Amino acid sequence: MSEKREVLFEMKNIEKIFSHVHALDHVNFDVRKGEVHALLGENGAGKSTLIKILTGVYKKDGGQIFMDGKEIEINSREDAANAGIAVIFQELSLIPTLSVYQNILLGKEISKFGFISDRAEKKQIQDLIDNYGFPVKATDIVETLSVAQKQMVEILKALATDAKLIIMDEPTASLSSRESELLFKIINQLREKEVSIIYISHRLEEVFNLSDRITILRDGKNAGVIEKEDIVPSEVVKMMIGKEVSESTASRELKTSNAENVLEVKNLTHLGYFNDVSFEVKKGEVLVLTGLVGSGRTEVVRSIYGADPYDSGEILFEGKPIKPTVRRSVANGFGLIPEDRRTQGFSPLLSVTKNVALTNYDKLAKSGFVKKADEDEIGKKAVSLTDLRPANPNVRVGDLSGGNQQKAVLGKWLTRDLKVILIDEPTVGIDIGAKDEIYNIIEGLAQQGVAVLMVSSDIAEVLHVAHRILVMREGRIIKEFNDGVATQEDILLASSGFVENQEVA
Amino acid sequence: MSEMTKKNPVLKILLGNSRLIVLLIMVVVFTLLTGGKFFSYKNLVNILYAVSLYGIMITGASFAVLLGGIDRTVSGNAALSGAIVAMTILNRGVGGGNVALAIFLGLGAGALSGLIHGLILSRFNIPAFLLTLATNEVLYGIVQYVTGNQLIYIRDCALMDYIGQVRWLGIPIPVYIMIVCVIISYIVLNHTVYGRQVYSVGGNRISSELSGVPARRDILIAYIVSGITGALAGFVLSSMNQQASSTQAKNYENDVLAAIVVGGVSMRGGAGTIQGAILGAFLIGVIGNGMTLIGIDAIYHNMIKGLIIIFAISIDMASVPGTPLNNFFRRFKQKKTA
Repeated sequence: MSEKREVLFEMKNIEKIFSHVHALDHVNFDVRKGEVHALLGENGAGKSTLIKILTGVYKKDGGQIFMDGKEIEINSREDAANAGIAVIFQELSLIPTLSVYQNILLGKEISKFGFISDRAEKKQIQDLIDNYGFPVKATDIVETLSVAQKQMVEILKALATDAKLIIMDEPTASLSSRESELLFKIINQLREKEVSIIYISHRLEEVFNLSDRITILRDGKNAGVIEKEDIVPSEVVKMMIGKEVSESTASRELKTSNAENVLEVKNLTHLGYFNDVSFEVKKGEVLVLTGLVGSGRTEVVRSIYGADPYDSGEILFEGKPIKPTVRRSVANGFGLIPEDRRTQGFSPLLSVTKNVALTNYDKLAKSGFVKKADEDEIGKKAVSLTDLRPANPNVRVGDLSGGNQQKAVLGKWLTRDLKVILIDEPTVGIDIGAKDEIYNIIEGLAQQGVAVLMVSSDIAEVLHVAHRILVMREGRIIKEFNDGVATQEDILLASSGFVENQEVA
Repeated sequence: MSEMTKKNPVLKILLGNSRLIVLLIMVVVFTLLTGGKFFSYKNLVNILYAVSLYGIMITGASFAVLLGGIDRTVSGNAALSGAIVAMTILNRGVGGGNVALAIFLGLGAGALSGLIHGLILSRFNIPAFLLTLATNEVLYGIVQYVTGNQLIYIRDCALMDYIGQVRWLGIPIPVYIMIVCVIISYIVLNHTVYGRQVYSVGGNRISSELSGVPARRDILIAYIVSGITGALAGFVLSSMNQQASSTQAKNYENDVLAAIVVGGVSMRGGAGTIQGAILGAFLIGVIGNGMTLIGIDAIYHNMIKGLIIIFAISIDMASVPGTPLNNFFRRFKQKKTA
């Protein structure tokens, strides 16, 4: 693939400004015919903004877009589709009860006098499938297909509209490794048919293997474009992070490093989710589990809490083995800030007080009857402990902003005598101000002697709050960073599978 | 407006509850249309008497709805309970005519039915609507079997005569039973940990479970309570009619659920009050009674009742921001002002 093909699609000096912030600052990006072009960058680097501009979701504030050398305007999804640009959605948009061909031709049915011609439809789609050699049949019902096959149907849907440029955003996030291999094969077939692909993934290994070229964005600006033959993993990571940052932060030292273990996990295994996971969390320590989404971090935490089962291994709490269930964990002084606060964190219709009190009725009730005054008191306490705004414990949690919702969830546990808190991605979708307040709360908990086990994908956040860092990959702990040696680079490389000396914790 | 509400607590309650206003308007309208006949003591007692049965069922069935479920077996439980009470008192098969045992067995049958439904619905992700739709048929089948599909007359049972015939302060006993049930439900929902958990699990079961709430147990209890109140209503109905039959309370579940929804309890669970649900029952009761008094032919009653229920539910759904109905009315309003 080293011969230079002609350019299919080009974006020049693209600008996008959100309330005085340059989300994209004169970004250039081009894709050649039949090229797999990866778009890399950390969260917030501008990847998704760029994609949203080229698919017509956002309007650009400056710059030009060219397709086949002609300047085009993309102001809507239809414009993008007409220009031959298609997106493979992460959340699949197929109708499960319909067949493959019915899904592909949805809204574009082949009909005569208002009657659909089933035979012509089947034939057209089967020809399309045969042309690309995908392992699905036109008549398969979508809900019987694997995730990877459904993705193929999405790709076929794009191809059926003569898409020249297909965007794949984290396509392997929900695929097993064997299914991913199948997808890579298909991407290679598309490349041979002169279809261009923009590939977005956090998994650097597959990006390096697959792409012909990589464009790297950082802070809304171009950080570099690299041809396949020039790829050096550590260099790419440096470009993503920026040199200044990679030197600056390192994990903080734990002053109480000889404190007792509150929580110990030994060889914990849940087949298909995580394998042979061992670690301990000390009193007053913040231990962070990081790694890519799907590496098994959340599952480990849920099993420790008793929300999910595990197959083998041991969990010790204050030196004694425990068999966790959620109720036992709560009674033992465990708390969980779940991954998705909206679906798992709170009851939206209830007030802050009633949400917070839910974990406290062991103290707020006498023979089953609620002591109202004490209940109101705990609501006020939660508001003041988390600096929740508006400072009114009677507001419905569903009406609060994301950051304050998370504070309400934290309030459930801050009002209890905690020994261990398990925190899963606490700052996703939360503005910077509230983020800092949540970090302060976590730090405060650790200083009070609570053992903190946190899951996070945000590397800056990991380095900011962690005393110790464990990197997980494909269900295993592959690297441990102790007091003050980790950099963003180290963590990114380890998460993606580039570990030179595999120290297993 | 705010000054007025501060001074007048009655006005404050009224403005905070649109259903109460609708009820009062209907009372006034029916009173005027019937030349005061509607508002006569005798007729008001009639309405209370008719609503009391639904009211008793509602106090239990509301728990299931608040938890995001539904219980259509209230009528089947009532029929089964009535039949078992009658058979026991008449000493057919079991009992030997012991009234206490009869009541125990009748309510016990409702509790057992609720236990079975609760066990299934708290553990498996089966739509409660479909399950209870089917099992209600099964319950009526059992009643047919138990009664031999015969109407059973209950005679010489002092307690049931008393409940069915006697009035205290001019008001029939079933009304007092309903009031007791409503008070108990109100206290449970508003002053106990269980009540708090009902609202929390109904609003978000996953988050509640992760906070250590025993959601399964809570749901199980709700269906048992609903089974018992259904059975209690059946016993009261048999006392009123001095009989039990295999069609007893048939289709009552429709009015019970309509009242709960008209009363503002969310079908998605997690929101609503017991007083609202009872108000819903009175709305439906007043409509039926008023139409009869005005002289609207009975063939139109169901039609009008259905339309009024739709109207009430629409108002309820339109008040929730973001719902299509809400958007629809907002667009309508904008056009008008523009």
